[in-house]
Amino acid sequence: MEVDAFRRLFPLRFHERHLLESIRPDGRPLGRARDTTIALGAVASANGSALAKIGCTTMLAAVKLEVMTPKAESPDEGCIVIDFHMPPICSPLVRPGRPAEAAPVITKQLTDIILSSGMIDLKELSLVSGKAAWMAYLDIYCLDADGALFDAALLSAVAAFSHLQIPVVSLNDNGRIVLLSEENSGAMWEKEPVNKEKRKLKLDTLPFSLTCVLHKNYILADPSAEEESIMETYLTVVLDSSMQLVSLNKPGGPGLAQTSAIQDCVALTIQRVKELQKILNEAISDMEVD
Amino acid sequence: MAGKISNTPATYTPSPTSQNKKRPSTVTGSDWVRPDGRGLHQCRPAFLRTGAVNSASGSAYAEFGNTKVIVSVFGPRESKKAMMYSDIGRLNCNVSYTSFATPIRGQASEGKDLSSMLHKALEGAIILESFPKTTVDVFALVLESGGSDLPVVISCASLALSDAGIRLYDIVASVSMSCLGKNLVIDPVSEEESYQDGSLMITCMPSRNEVTQMTVTGEWSTPKIHEAMQLCLDACWKLGKIMRSCLKEAVSAPEE
Repeated sequence: MEVDAFRRLFPLRFHERHLLESIRPDGRPLGRARDTTIALGAVASANGSALAKIGCTTMLAAVKLEVMTPKAESPDEGCIVIDFHMPPICSPLVRPGRPAEAAPVITKQLTDIILSSGMIDLKELSLVSGKAAWMAYLDIYCLDADGALFDAALLSAVAAFSHLQIPVVSLNDNGRIVLLSEENSGAMWEKEPVNKEKRKLKLDTLPFSLTCVLHKNYILADPSAEEESIMETYLTVVLDSSMQLVSLNKPGGPGLAQTSAIQDCVALTIQRVKELQKILNEAISDMEVD
Repeated sequence: MAGKISNTPATYTPSPTSQNKKRPSTVTGSDWVRPDGRGLHQCRPAFLRTGAVNSASGSAYAEFGNTKVIVSVFGPRESKKAMMYSDIGRLNCNVSYTSFATPIRGQASEGKDLSSMLHKALEGAIILESFPKTTVDVFALVLESGGSDLPVVISCASLALSDAGIRLYDIVASVSMSCLGKNLVIDPVSEEESYQDGSLMITCMPSRNEVTQMTVTGEWSTPKIHEAMQLCLDACWKLGKIMRSCLKEAVSAPEE
């Protein structure tokens, strides 16, 4: 029988035969993630944006800042709204008008992690206490879905926030926030800007994640869509840059996870976080050179 | 979604202090310079690449200035269950915008009208008889809208169809034109489109010299229409050549 036919007819046996040899169909060892790249500033119409690729999985994230009146109970805080989209271009499984089930799940996970990890202090988004604050809309679009969607989405989100450039604004007489143009900077401004100092968002610790597929005794890091569809038990570990655990998520699945397997996953994630941090730092320094 | 919106407070995008919404009077004059410094009859540089989305049967990415578009093609695959038997194939098109496509968030159109325009522009070029009973899906996502969105989507979709190996009579190239007073500008950017008196878009199959779609809106005089059509057809012909070389490059490049 031809290999391609065998792969389609007996996908599980095809993969298990590979696992016996400690290799995966795409040539990776079990614990290795796919090649990862980050490009910052991909969307000119946004205040911050990033394109992240893990293997073929591609995510485009963009942050747009709008002004809102802060809530009475938290007059010094801005707000972050996160939305993850899976447009029909990304996968043969998504059709227009029938949104993917995975999208709202990932939106929820991302919101929980970004807001609870302490990455962004919402007070940083304040402009005029009680009157105006930034509302940061983070929209992430999956352009190509090939497994490990959450990892790629989180990476692009973190990168988009690192790229975020806050425009200089001032409060006009009607109590509205207006943009000050960059060209006539300094003395030429008719109004005193309210956020001269805060042009970059201070990011404390950055969360990074790794998803692993658990199958029998094997742990496969960063699964492709094919691996995810065949071996359905997976575990996502999120650590921050100081290696503290932010989230650990095993959404059911037919297999149970042993304590030792969870520890192995965390160990793999520690490796991966170092890798991702390096990739992000390189992307940021490339950006500053340009 | 409805519940979510009511929870979030009303927001607005800060605008510059001195905003000039009115169209500058120089636009119609003969000494007018376009916002990006192009000549009146000069198109934006085009960047085209096939195979942008791995999980699709075929795909293409197109970038004309700030207009950035991805098109994925899926199929031919089983038609929806409710569909009647048909001995020719079906074409299904959908165009959508990202929420950050326009300078102000969420201002982009829904894309319903563009979906039907895209369908009509491509339908005539596809050999539907070659995939009976099945459907080919053409999905477009406008990542960033910088003007002339529909022509870019159409040209990009035609590349994606070729990449998917769908049989076509010819590739489809599309170019639009805006009329601003006396001036005719080709491949307009968003700013020029917002000032325009009239627009013209031609979608054609360059090597067969056949027009699959033409739309004219606004005020035009007959000689102007003739001039604009000729300019658009010439531009389509040139764009067709660029698209052809992009496809050839993809085939000759060594597989990774």
